[in-house]
Amino acid sequence: MFEQRLDSKEATIAGKDIGRVEMDLRVGEEVPMEEDDEFMLSRNYFLAKEAGSTSRKKSTQKLSDIDLIDEQVLRMAVSAIKPKHEKEIESLIKSYKDLYSKWLFELRCGFGLLMYGFGSKKILLEDFASTALTDYGVVVINGYLPSVNIKQVVITLAEVLSDQLKDKRKNSTGSKSRTQQPFRSQSIEDLLSFLNLQLPDDNDCFICVVIHDIDGPSLRDSESQQYLARIASCSLVRMVASVDHVNAPLLWDKKMVHTQFNWCWYHVPTFAPYKVEGSFFPLVLANCRNAQTTKTALVVLQSLTPNAQSVFKILAEYQLANEKEGMPINALYTKCRERFIVSNQVTLNSHLTEFKDHDLSLKEFLVASFQIFSCCC
Amino acid sequence: MSPSPISIPPSSPIADDTTDDNVLQPFFVLHKALPQKCQRKAAGSTRTRRKIDLPHSSPKSPEKSDAVASSVGPNDANHERLRLEAFNMTWSKIDTTIKEVLTRIHRNLFAEVHQWALESFLALKSGKPRHALEIQSPYPLLDNVICRQIPTAMILTKNAEFVDDMLTFQELGEHLKYKGCHIANLLSMDFCAKDGIAGCLRSLLRQLVVDAPDTADMSVLSSWYCEPENYDHPVIIVIDDMERCSGAILADFIRLLSEWVNKLPVIFIMGVATTDTAKKLLPSDALQHLQASKFTLGSPLERMNALVEAVLVKPSFGFNIGHNVAVFMRNYFLGHDGTVISFVRALKLACVKHFSMEPLSFLGIDVCDENEVFLHGKCDALPDTLLKYAFNLPSCKRGKDCKNSRDDLGEGLSDLRKLLKAWSSVILCLCEVGKNNKIQLLDIFCEATDPALSSLDPSNHKLERLFNGQNLAEGRLDFKGGLIGQLVHTVRELPLSSLIELLDLWSIHTEELYEVHGEVRELQSVVKSSNSGNNLKERQIDCHKMSMSLCAGRTSLSVNGKAAALLDNMVRKFLMPIECLCFHEIICFRNVDILQSALIGNPRRNIQVDLMKSTTYIKCSCCSSNENVLSPTMHDTSVMYNLAQEHGDLINLQDWYQSFKSTVLSTNKLKSPLQHSPMSKKVKSSPSESEASIQARFCRAVIELQIAGLIRMPSKRRPDFVQRVAFGL
Repeated sequence: MFEQRLDSKEATIAGKDIGRVEMDLRVGEEVPMEEDDEFMLSRNYFLAKEAGSTSRKKSTQKLSDIDLIDEQVLRMAVSAIKPKHEKEIESLIKSYKDLYSKWLFELRCGFGLLMYGFGSKKILLEDFASTALTDYGVVVINGYLPSVNIKQVVITLAEVLSDQLKDKRKNSTGSKSRTQQPFRSQSIEDLLSFLNLQLPDDNDCFICVVIHDIDGPSLRDSESQQYLARIASCSLVRMVASVDHVNAPLLWDKKMVHTQFNWCWYHVPTFAPYKVEGSFFPLVLANCRNAQTTKTALVVLQSLTPNAQSVFKILAEYQLANEKEGMPINALYTKCRERFIVSNQVTLNSHLTEFKDHDLSLKEFLVASFQIFSCCC
Repeated sequence: MSPSPISIPPSSPIADDTTDDNVLQPFFVLHKALPQKCQRKAAGSTRTRRKIDLPHSSPKSPEKSDAVASSVGPNDANHERLRLEAFNMTWSKIDTTIKEVLTRIHRNLFAEVHQWALESFLALKSGKPRHALEIQSPYPLLDNVICRQIPTAMILTKNAEFVDDMLTFQELGEHLKYKGCHIANLLSMDFCAKDGIAGCLRSLLRQLVVDAPDTADMSVLSSWYCEPENYDHPVIIVIDDMERCSGAILADFIRLLSEWVNKLPVIFIMGVATTDTAKKLLPSDALQHLQASKFTLGSPLERMNALVEAVLVKPSFGFNIGHNVAVFMRNYFLGHDGTVISFVRALKLACVKHFSMEPLSFLGIDVCDENEVFLHGKCDALPDTLLKYAFNLPSCKRGKDCKNSRDDLGEGLSDLRKLLKAWSSVILCLCEVGKNNKIQLLDIFCEATDPALSSLDPSNHKLERLFNGQNLAEGRLDFKGGLIGQLVHTVRELPLSSLIELLDLWSIHTEELYEVHGEVRELQSVVKSSNSGNNLKERQIDCHKMSMSLCAGRTSLSVNGKAAALLDNMVRKFLMPIECLCFHEIICFRNVDILQSALIGNPRRNIQVDLMKSTTYIKCSCCSSNENVLSPTMHDTSVMYNLAQEHGDLINLQDWYQSFKSTVLSTNKLKSPLQHSPMSKKVKSSPSESEASIQARFCRAVIELQIAGLIRMPSKRRPDFVQRVAFGL
């Protein structure tokens, strides 16, 4: 979805230029630099297209021409890459410490902070949160992970805020603590209205949500962004987030930008390696088929029935525990029966056939009349 | 940008915590609030404005040589608190004013809608069951077979962007609530296909019924309506953006409510862009249940003018913007999306930046206060460092030969207030002229704040000169050709009747500007006496025509001339741009770059610049400072991105890898990316460990470029190519 938007951005640029120029004629002021930039952008696009069409003819080099090394070795090598300019990067990140006070000031004034620029900003944001935001509860969301449950996040936020308010009540006189339903059983609307309470006496009581990669894979869909925007607009919540994708602003509409997130942008390139953030991406020089298989295997697994998923899980767990040997079918059947996953061998066999048919890398051995399955996913 | 003085706990070492378990948790609590701070805050928050104590100047406070923001010394935490409080006070005043202005603009519309709602309610009531039991019983749904219609106000919004009208609908809701109606604001999100009709019903119940159960049941609503305090008031449902709702769900909702409408007097208010919206969105059977009436909202430019007048021209907040910022904000408004809400957001951001960056900004709230006791009190309590800072402000340095005492600061600030008042009176007078010419106030404001338009040399400018007005004439403010010049010219050509009205308005605006006020009164009496001599017919004759015909219009022509001369005089004497005034830095925000970068992040450009010019950020000795030369020590991703620039929209992975390899292996030879040639195959085969590490580095750089969204991975169709996504900055 994100990629599609990204394409449409490129496609509409030429049209946008015309609109902007007209607008500026009306304003009668000097044309801002952006216009030139956008003109260059569209020009470059077509130049690149042209160059692409010629270079495609020229360059017919195959990836296999490279002396590719084994994937395992490559993965090891990736984790052992010697960092460059460690000191400089550290001092670059440290140089942003001077801005912490400003960031805090802006948060206290009701703005959200959005950090962008090349390099992982994970360390920077968490350092900011743990040094400058000690007076406020801080919840960190790792948006770079493949899945984040927003409802769980909101429950946690409500709990942290509730603790913070309780502490405050203890210290101030005359207010009563309200007994209420546990947060886990409340609807998301109730939780959001709790986060949006108007405190009459204190406008400096809030909790902070730090989101690494608010444009990350798990948060890219519009529903998640809508919920995040609603969280950000709550009076007792402030948001500090980072974006890495160049087209991240396309995630938000005018309402989200102007009334909910209320971002104050900061360009803070760190050049720190995207260690964790990048760990979920396939390696381009690793066997591409493999990467595809992992992806497709996931799709297949998700579309299986819960029972079939459980059978695969048992098989996978066994495989992880015993790397070298496969699982005898009898053992698998017994285990599945114990857990009420299958009731007869026929069902189990049908599940196994399905795994094989869908290329879930299941190897079958027939060793001395024992059928042994091994899972290589 | 210099860092401002603030209290930050001692810096913690920046640790690489990637090994931490938390990195793989979808979310986690980093820490909870420190309890003791809450206590301190709870105690501090009860203070009122006038109780703000300034930390007294300590003679021992260390002074730093560069007396900018970093010079405030040990009390900076207190000053930061003061600035924050000052911001909160200032912004809450501005915010209230904005709301008042917008409500004032919509007052007529609101009253019209209210009147219509009452009439519709009465019409609904005429066919309504009288007993509570009848209302609560689910059957019979209708007491007659005629289709019941729900009165619906279709409010036409004149905006391309809906976001601006959300506030209007919210205010309309509040207005009607204040008038005794039950209000529920339903968002387009409530009408999504996923939740079905239950979603919007739940939202409706949640807003109307206290402690509503989480079930979507109309009977809950009907029994709520039967409670004595709720009974006999219309239930108004506001849907601010109808176009975004799911048509099917909205149609179901309308059908459902139409069945209840004779029991529950429901009235809709819907925001639509065109009159056809409802027809396009709803099926005809739902449409027939709506009894539509049309209303129209005002245009954004109209709101904008009112806002500028109330917020930027009247100097009552202790916060103002300089010329560059004003021009930027005007262009942002006209060129970005034309919404008032984006303008207000830009203004708020400017305000935050001002209070966060300007150490003395907390004095602003008292600068505009007539009662100077607090201002002088605050000035007296300023520590020496801040006092020194104040007298080192560029505007003060160039203009004054004072003794740099606390009294001078107080005097300077109260002069600033007087000058601003005079300035704003003149702008308002110009604005009244502009209304005849359809010139926008925002444009006049931008021109009036421009220090370049004044040919006065700011370095020779002295505060005293302004009030004497003797030397100013020599300076000759050159407004010819600009808007202000046009306005002065307009006055010369005004018909007499308009001139009389204009002078009446001028006399209101200049009430506190005694010098001018006298002249205006005088001119008014001249105009009236000349006017009384003419008959009604003559009164309507355009004086310009009279001058052309060279007949008996000389008196009125000279009156026009006098009015124009008066305006010209006012402009020369009092329209001194704020940036030419002493101590203006304390209340005026001028840093347009900071505002622009905070308001409009440009990741597309900046991330690419980061990669293309990584050496400007990573200040190392090993890499070449020459932009066009790639050195093997440079950041890998940066090298890769620079190399990618040579390719078209598709990058052959093998080519890219070889050129990367040759770049990182070239030890001493620096090579220009522009002179790249596929000589990479000649690179000697290196040991396998090194090959592995180069491949690993290549892979990681590709991943990082993918994270940044600058390339797309090989597809099945083209397994040997990655695709470039961004072209140019």
